[in-house]
Amino acid sequence: MPEPLLLTEALTRRFGALAAVDGVSLAFEEGRVHAVIGPNGAGKSTFLNLLSGELRATRGQVRFRGLDVTRATPDELSRLGIGRSYQTANLFPELSCADCAWLAAQSRLPSSMRFFRPAERYAEVGDRAARALDVCGLSGRRPALAGQLSYGEQRQLEIAMMLATEPTLLLLDEPLAGLGHDEALRVVALLTEVARGRTVILVEHDMDAVFSISDTVTVLVDGRVLERGSPDQVRNSAAVREAYLGEEIA
Amino acid sequence: MTRRILLLAGALALGAVAFSGDRFWLQFLGKAMIGCILAMSLDLLVGFTGLVSLAHSAFFGLAAYALAGVTNRLGLVNPLLTFPVCLLAAAAAALIIGWLSLRATGVYFIMVTLAFTQMLFYLFNDSPALGGSDGLYVVERPVDSRAAAYVAIWAALVLAYLLLARILRAPYGRALEGIRVNEQRMRSLGYPTRRYKLVAFVIAGALAGVAGYLDATLYGFVNPAQLGWRQSGLILVTVLLGGKGTLYGPALGALLLAFIEHYGERVTEHWNALIAALVIAVVLFLPRGLAGLVQGGRRA
Amino acid sequence: MSLSLFALQLINGVEYGLLLFLVASGLTLVFGVLGVLNFAHGSFYMLGAYLAWWLSERTGNLLLAILVGLPAMALIGLLVERLAIGRLYLRDHLSQVLLTYGLVLLFNELQRALWGNDVHGVATPKALSFTIPLGEAQTWPAWRAFTALCCIAVAVAMRQVILKTRWGMRVRAGASNAEMVEALGIDVRRVFSVVFSAGTALAGLAGMLAAPLTTVYPGMGESVLILSFVVVVIGGIGSIKGAFLGAMLVGIADTFGKVLLPGFASAMVYAVMAAVLLWRPRGLLGPAFEGR
Repeated sequence: MPEPLLLTEALTRRFGALAAVDGVSLAFEEGRVHAVIGPNGAGKSTFLNLLSGELRATRGQVRFRGLDVTRATPDELSRLGIGRSYQTANLFPELSCADCAWLAAQSRLPSSMRFFRPAERYAEVGDRAARALDVCGLSGRRPALAGQLSYGEQRQLEIAMMLATEPTLLLLDEPLAGLGHDEALRVVALLTEVARGRTVILVEHDMDAVFSISDTVTVLVDGRVLERGSPDQVRNSAAVREAYLGEEIA
Repeated sequence: MTRRILLLAGALALGAVAFSGDRFWLQFLGKAMIGCILAMSLDLLVGFTGLVSLAHSAFFGLAAYALAGVTNRLGLVNPLLTFPVCLLAAAAAALIIGWLSLRATGVYFIMVTLAFTQMLFYLFNDSPALGGSDGLYVVERPVDSRAAAYVAIWAALVLAYLLLARILRAPYGRALEGIRVNEQRMRSLGYPTRRYKLVAFVIAGALAGVAGYLDATLYGFVNPAQLGWRQSGLILVTVLLGGKGTLYGPALGALLLAFIEHYGERVTEHWNALIAALVIAVVLFLPRGLAGLVQGGRRA
Repeated sequence: MSLSLFALQLINGVEYGLLLFLVASGLTLVFGVLGVLNFAHGSFYMLGAYLAWWLSERTGNLLLAILVGLPAMALIGLLVERLAIGRLYLRDHLSQVLLTYGLVLLFNELQRALWGNDVHGVATPKALSFTIPLGEAQTWPAWRAFTALCCIAVAVAMRQVILKTRWGMRVRAGASNAEMVEALGIDVRRVFSVVFSAGTALAGLAGMLAAPLTTVYPGMGESVLILSFVVVVIGGIGSIKGAFLGAMLVGIADTFGKVLLPGFASAMVYAVMAAVLLWRPRGLLGPAFEGR
């Protein structure tokens, strides 16, 4: 078994007396799509925030390629190749799509402390940004202001910005939230495309999507791992059904 | 394009005054241009990075006092020696104060910069050894003639503008813009944002130091009032008045304020109230400043 | 330093801290609830002092002046909030800083026009003009004790109102989520007006109490303002408890600083602030999340 790309050991995060994430130990294999699901309040978003460095763990460890990154800041994690997309659009509303993608792509320069050459001259950055927008179907919307895009387009831009940072590990926080059926299908297709050759940790509520694109599914309840396995295993698990209070999963 | 031409014309006109030999205009416009340097450098922080700093006058005053110090105590007069020293002093102070202040965010940051600027004010105001509230004379200025000082100021203004415009078009400038709009997102994209803000703070502080050095050169006199929060507030006023985030706007704001201050003093004893009314009016009715009227673009 | 001198300085420091608390609590309350950083807060302190002097000259009694002056200050606060501050609620920091800066300039000119540039002494009321002995060598002016007691009474009253009354609940709710409160039918604007008036009155009261101690002079608002900012930075913005803690620290540090290191007294206070910043960038009791 190859060493997992990402590993958490007894990862815990407390808010006062409440343990939102409670002793979660998981291994995420490289090159696979891993879904994390669970009822509301299960700790999924907290878990993702712990992985992306936006929250500090109370206890436990996170290892990325064997490196201890438990105390790493979001910018350090990003530079290690961990990309993140957000549940609510976290863009640059007054900047154009092209500029948003640019900023994301520019982050891959060894350093943006470059003061004298105009930014446009860094062709590699422009190319990377353009490619990311292209993959996400936003090439036609380059000049549009991010704040004025439609909801679905903003989701696409979220993903484009993440892609432009050329991550090896993608952390996706409910990328399908609030999307209509057709838009959701489009984004699922995009995600399938994007997942090729990369590792994905996906937090989602949309079960159709989860079961269609995931290789493993982890179910979190009350901050703890209830079940983990292939989509079929999870789908057929009685314990999982019960946790969702009789919700139709399959 | 027309804006470029207008700016160029303005710069040339200002430069031409150097040949006029008119004592009043050399002094007045020299002072005004120093205000322009202060305004533009503060705009880097306020308009482009989103940092409202009240410490700007501290670096202005520090460099001025540094000149008084090295000239009066060490006998150094040659600008080739004194200028780098004063510039370094301002930049070092900006590094320290910036590093401490940037540990705070939002309004905390504003309050902390205010506290540091007042600390420096009291330091100079309360120490007889440093001149006290009366200030100090610079026994011998780096340049003798008023015209020469004017030319130096003019050159500094032009260079400062070109430098800032360049920086803002470079990747660094783009990063600052991203930080202003959504700093948290910039961090998750991989930018160590605090470092970028610190660099901006130091660049701005260094330029404020240049302005302070030139001010001491023009007047041959330094005093604590240059360091206090009133002064910082006035520089902020010029930024708002001219239009933040445009670079040339704040420079215009500084020129306008210089005229208002000068003629206001003649019209009424309570000209401070005039400035107050102006500030309040601009905040309430013209938030984008003069540049907003012109509807110029964002990037200089 | 002898024990009784130490005790005296400590008591002075605490009393100074209590006055600072009065001012800082108004500042932090306004920011916590309205989200506005008011640079003109020091001007209210100054106005309170001038009012106390002017009224006590007219009536011959400082206590009466304070009684009359306090509602006057609250009224002034109400006017300022309605006319100016109320327009800042959704604006950026630069606008807030500059609008309130403009107010400072305005109030300064107003003070100069009305009362001139002179320094004025204010007599303590005869009833409180005695001194309290402390040990063998030192005495403590009764007015200072009175001031300290007033501040403590106000602090306790504030705590009761905010924690135990329905008004206080509205204030706390407005602080955390103004939109929600409005949706529930509570007039948030009214809450804001009241809070701002209260903040103004607090600063004014501090000025009135301090008038006999520091004399009344132009520019007295400035130093208090800066110090109350330091207090709020140390204590954490929006936290009254933090303001109390910070005020005590600053009051004591400043008082001892003046005695031990006369040249560097002010520096002491800023050094404490810098130290707190290094350790806790959001203040000792500040909010856990990103501030406004």
